[in-house]
Amino acid sequence: MTRRLFIFAVMTLALSALGCKQKKQESPDGQEARAKEKIAVIISTLNNPWFVVLADTAKTRAEELGYEAMIFDSQNDTAKESDHFENVIAGGYAAILFNPTDADGSIANVKKAKQAGIPTFCIDREINSNDVAVTQILSDNYAGCVELGQYFVKKMSQKGKYVELLGILGDNNTWNRSKGFHSVVDNYPELKMVAQQSAEFDRTRAMEVLESILQANPDIEAVFCGNDAMAMGAFQALVAAGKADKVMVFGFDGAKDVIDSIRDGKIVATGMQFPKRMARMAAEQANEYIKGKRDFQQKVPVAVELVTRENIAKYTAYGRQSNE
Amino acid sequence: MKMVVKYILIVAVFTLLLYHGTYFKNLQDVRQQRQREAFNAAEYARDFWDNQLPGVLDKAVDVKELIKLFNTNMAQAIERYGKAPGVSRVYAYLLKGEGPILEVNENGFKVSVEEPHTNPDVLIETGSYIPGNAVRDASGLIDVSKFSDTMKFNEISGEINKIVVKDVIESFLNKGPSSGRTVKFFGATQVAQDAAEENELELIKIIPIRLELE
Repeated sequence: MTRRLFIFAVMTLALSALGCKQKKQESPDGQEARAKEKIAVIISTLNNPWFVVLADTAKTRAEELGYEAMIFDSQNDTAKESDHFENVIAGGYAAILFNPTDADGSIANVKKAKQAGIPTFCIDREINSNDVAVTQILSDNYAGCVELGQYFVKKMSQKGKYVELLGILGDNNTWNRSKGFHSVVDNYPELKMVAQQSAEFDRTRAMEVLESILQANPDIEAVFCGNDAMAMGAFQALVAAGKADKVMVFGFDGAKDVIDSIRDGKIVATGMQFPKRMARMAAEQANEYIKGKRDFQQKVPVAVELVTRENIAKYTAYGRQSNE
Repeated sequence: MKMVVKYILIVAVFTLLLYHGTYFKNLQDVRQQRQREAFNAAEYARDFWDNQLPGVLDKAVDVKELIKLFNTNMAQAIERYGKAPGVSRVYAYLLKGEGPILEVNENGFKVSVEEPHTNPDVLIETGSYIPGNAVRDASGLIDVSKFSDTMKFNEISGEINKIVVKDVIESFLNKGPSSGRTVKFFGATQVAQDAAEENELELIKIIPIRLELE
């Protein structure tokens, strides 16, 4: 009996010591590490440099805060995204930094994670719900495109034919951008939109779509694109058609190739989103949540800034020169 | 035996009908869906304009004080009076003031609020449309987190701007404002935190909320 008690006491002490050791590990910046805690970064697509920056920054910041972080690519497929959530739930992750594929279709996944006790922090793209994610840090696409629309009107001298390339139709960002732009441009009756078509935020698709539109509308003067990847695709189509110096291209994102193109006088303007800022905020808020904070603003719009040939010196890819 | 087959068939048909005729949905999902379908941005904006906005106009800061703070202590201007729905370098302000009209043009009318009223300090916008979110954000009354999707939040702004054009600008222009006359106003503006360094404070652009000609 005494021997049994002795073995039991030794085992209890050994387990307690192991638990303490895990809790007391220190991370490089002196914060208490959570050796067994993992953060998942689930991203709509990595087939676009802008989202790669978003994912990498979120992962890096989570790691800086002492977590193990893993990136999952949903490839713009809600079914794949759902599989990632299943794996993350089964894998015992402490939090999810999430860039959704679909404003409605992704709600169920966040709900599933919530039911499993895993908090989700949306970045950039929104889900149409205000009670399943802990917080949603979103680009203020509408206001950004209001400003872009005003600049568009000025550059077009209030008249001319133009084309709009939309993003993924199930994504709220697509419509917030389009509606912000039209809330300005539609007030000028001499500005005629001759085609509005989705190129699904994809560079190659944008090139194909604009090539086809140019067949029927060779006299357009501008193309407004819902993201920078499409702006680059549209610019390629215009180069191929020998119209690059006659048609103005406007993008949205602040991606490296478009910032470089604005500097080189190829693209006219873009809306600078701040993927690094948003990703860092999401990782930091996840860390705060894990440490016990519960009071978060549900939706946090992050302002978008207009980048043009006139103010390009203030900006770099994915942010401002000064602080990003 | 025939009876057993008959009962099995009846149960099977009944089960089939029940399976296809009944479905279950999460009550919260249904409520949210209904809320989404029932949302009317124009009605929301009208209620905001008629019933909520008047209640905060007494908190409007005098534009002279605001201009002074913009030029001397932007951080304090932001802390005391600035509003933004999220993370931004641009803040919205609810303001009031009065002064003589110095110039009327297609974009609006330039007003001097500082003695001796020789130079214009503000431009009260009177265009045929108003872009942006100045009034919505300056009021501080509409919380983006209350909306399941931000499009609604933005649609409200568009509808508020329509009310500004119809109820404020059009009726004011009908009174024939001209240079030399004094105008009293409540309005909203948006100013970037680095506006002083960027020399953007020469003429503060104001979206009017109330305009009175004296």
